[in-house]
Amino acid sequence: MSSKPFAITLKPGTSLANLTGTWRTARPQYVDRLPPCNHACPAGENIQGWLFHAESGDYEQAWRVLTISNPLPAVMGRVCYHPCETACNRGQLDEAVGINSVERFLGDEAIKRDWKFDAPAAASGKKVLVVGAGPSGLSAAYHLARMGHRVEIQEAGPLAGGMMRFGIPKYRLPREVLDAEVQRILDLGVTLKLNSKVVNIEQSMQQGGFDAAFLAVGAHIGKRTFIPAGDATKIVDAVSVLRSMEGEDKPMLGRRVVVYGGGNTAIDVARTAKRLGATEAIIVYRRTREKMPAHDFEVEEALQEGVLIKWLSTIKQAGEGEITVEKMALDEKGFPQPTGEFETLAADSVVLALGQDVDLSLLDGLSGLEIKDGTVQVAANMMTGHPGIFAGGDMVPSERTVTVGVGHGKKAARNIDAWLRGIAYEPGPKHEIATFDKLNPWYYSDADKTVRPMLDIIRRQTSFDEVQGGLDETNALFEARRCLSCGNCFECDNCYGVCPDNAVIKLGPGKRFEFNYDYCKGCGLCVVECPCGAIKMVPEDI
Amino acid sequence: MLKQTEGSKAVAEAIALCRPEVICAYPISPQTHIVEALGEMVKSGELTPCEFINVESEFAAMSVAIGSSAAGARSYTATASQGLLFMVEAVYNAAGLGLPIVMTVANRAIGAPINIWNDHSDSLSQRDSGWMQLFAETNQEAVDLHIQAFRLAEELSMPVMVCMDGFILTHAFERVDIPSQEQVDSYLPPFDPRQVLDPAEPVSIGAMVGPEAFMEVKYLAHAKQMQALGLIQQLASEFRTTFGRDSGGLVRTYRADDAETMVVAMGSVLGTIKDTVDEMRDEGHKIGVLGITSYRPFPQREVRAALQNCKRFVVLEKSLAVGMGGIAATDVRMAVTGSGLKGFTAIAGLGGRAIPKASLHRLFREVEQEDLAPVTFLDLDRDAVNKQLEREKQTRRSGPIAENILYDKGISSTAKFG
Repeated sequence: MSSKPFAITLKPGTSLANLTGTWRTARPQYVDRLPPCNHACPAGENIQGWLFHAESGDYEQAWRVLTISNPLPAVMGRVCYHPCETACNRGQLDEAVGINSVERFLGDEAIKRDWKFDAPAAASGKKVLVVGAGPSGLSAAYHLARMGHRVEIQEAGPLAGGMMRFGIPKYRLPREVLDAEVQRILDLGVTLKLNSKVVNIEQSMQQGGFDAAFLAVGAHIGKRTFIPAGDATKIVDAVSVLRSMEGEDKPMLGRRVVVYGGGNTAIDVARTAKRLGATEAIIVYRRTREKMPAHDFEVEEALQEGVLIKWLSTIKQAGEGEITVEKMALDEKGFPQPTGEFETLAADSVVLALGQDVDLSLLDGLSGLEIKDGTVQVAANMMTGHPGIFAGGDMVPSERTVTVGVGHGKKAARNIDAWLRGIAYEPGPKHEIATFDKLNPWYYSDADKTVRPMLDIIRRQTSFDEVQGGLDETNALFEARRCLSCGNCFECDNCYGVCPDNAVIKLGPGKRFEFNYDYCKGCGLCVVECPCGAIKMVPEDI
Repeated sequence: MLKQTEGSKAVAEAIALCRPEVICAYPISPQTHIVEALGEMVKSGELTPCEFINVESEFAAMSVAIGSSAAGARSYTATASQGLLFMVEAVYNAAGLGLPIVMTVANRAIGAPINIWNDHSDSLSQRDSGWMQLFAETNQEAVDLHIQAFRLAEELSMPVMVCMDGFILTHAFERVDIPSQEQVDSYLPPFDPRQVLDPAEPVSIGAMVGPEAFMEVKYLAHAKQMQALGLIQQLASEFRTTFGRDSGGLVRTYRADDAETMVVAMGSVLGTIKDTVDEMRDEGHKIGVLGITSYRPFPQREVRAALQNCKRFVVLEKSLAVGMGGIAATDVRMAVTGSGLKGFTAIAGLGGRAIPKASLHRLFREVEQEDLAPVTFLDLDRDAVNKQLEREKQTRRSGPIAENILYDKGISSTAKFG
């Protein structure tokens, strides 16, 4: 028949008669694992998902994927403490991907280019009351509006933003950024009523004909402590100081300001005092730097700006123009104990930054509620003990950050939506986490983290200009491309290239691959050589 | 053109005259000078069109040659010793696929102990690989055999090894007549592949074949080597016509007409043997020589014809089938089965051990008297061997053999092994 060499040159595909897949004892399987960044995000962002689009320079699509979870990327790109970067696998390779800086870049691009959210789904006919226009309330309002519900926010304050406006100083979050992102939410058709304090929730719901409510009242009441003080001493609380920064009359703190406490608010207020012209801004904190709850990078920035910190000290007494502090020593368990040693510090004012409480008076008389340690207890679906009333943010037991608040808003919105439709919201199954040991980092090229520019130190001490700058398009792209795509195929073709049996079928751009199990012998090369841990071996039933 | 030149350089020039299109090789002593010279010729543009492909190993060298030959390019490589062993799987594949690759084997011993000097263990280990093996006696013959090898390989579509003794030939400077390009072109036509690859008509080459056809493929390889027995003689005769000298062929005899004792050997040692035979002839000994040029295919009929008139013969070979004796000797004895001839095997020159005339004189006289064992080892240091055997009998942990023997011979310092 053939003029070709006998039994040496055969028709193409003659080997296909041998179904070598039958030799297999284990099979490779493409999987999607949960990237550690996504897992760590309190707002539940699909970080890897939006980085993927940013990597190809499609910033609008990246922003759209990002805002599926979080409507405030420009805010979050500034004030989030980015647990995603702490969890990032790249941190074990060189440095974590600058997720926060890319998020900010996308948020700023959206403002610059005036990107809008997609129009809400068909109207549900349901009406939801959101109490409080802070991060949690705004987030819930946004998500509920996109689901087609009518949303009204009732805010006690004169402006929207909650703690983002009245707690976080301008040098960390410029107000025009906040305003732009709030306005975009309102553009979805959300009604915002300012200076409308809800005194009685049931009453407000009844009056407005609301089907459900989401309570997101912030912790605006500064905690006090008893300090024996003379009449002449000015003792104020940190929340009030920061809030008054937003009004016409700036707080009068004097030249020597002592801040009492060790949280992020203490740092914010000390840095604010410095900017207001204090020659001395001293933080008095009863424990050590290691024990300080404030984030270390903020402590560092404060120290750079000339804020002084007196460790292991408590304020015993406040007199005219001076205070008395007692030195403390840590006991074996790490608790500070008084030593009986005293010293005096010059002080024109003392600012208390000892934590905040939530005003829960709007809940008085509401049935079914459980209130513990000043917070409202909620079920896993964020609903209080009173049907139809949900709560989140500072009001419920959790870490009090903007990101957690945004996350609560999203979660509550999904559950409120389900509740309004008479069903229960079922979150999708959680994938296994793509831990570092699942990766083959050899395949990734070296790429150092892009450092964001910092404002000159003199300007930081004298103005409220934003301290940290943003990335531009070129370095934002570079930063996004540092993503390892942990646990999810990014179509690098490695499996396709290394398979000795040609048993990997390429499905085309965006469609990934599949295995031809007729010929896959289960050697596992693809699993070992997958850079991002998106393939696993599973035993065959034999 | 007559030249005083190194064997390797002469072979490289001969290869270049054969217009190879792909050369891929990994350097190993004593082959290195050949591929270095070819590399320089390709780089300088003297040899063009030709692709010199640097590879990462001998396995890759043969694999590349397989690919390029299958694609229709005249392909050449060279190796030796451990390098040949490293490429073995691909060596068999080249033959199985019927690809007319020409490879120089600069014959060298195989370790351990590691040794870079000449014997025939390397190419003889590939006796059954399906490659034809031609052994050169001189550098002139090495040049000539390569030119014939390309024609032989391409006419049959089977690969050919040209074997030349490492160092003894590759590194020896002597008079060599390098033919002209016109001569070689008139003898060796351009490569016309048995099959050509065509993207419009895809095929699978070398895919799995089951019991239903495998034996036939192997038989076809054997049949081709049987055809080669005739072709090799024809090519040698055509060579004589074109180039005016005798080179190649299956076997060559020397002073054999009335010989009662015949010495059979392959490669460059034939020179020393012939000198010894000349001296013995002068003394009246009836002794002659049979040189085997074509080891594979093995010319049984010609060997038998060359030996049938003598009374006894010795096969002197630079290789050892451990546990048996000779390798070439087995084939020679097979060829004379039933003739009643008395045959001896002499293992000589392993790992570059010198084969001096004096030793040959002694050996040949013992053969004439038929006063030696069926398998004998030329110039074996019996004392050293016996000492080691004794040591092993007495002490389980008797130490490394090679070092012990060097010590016994007073070659190494005691510091080396305490």
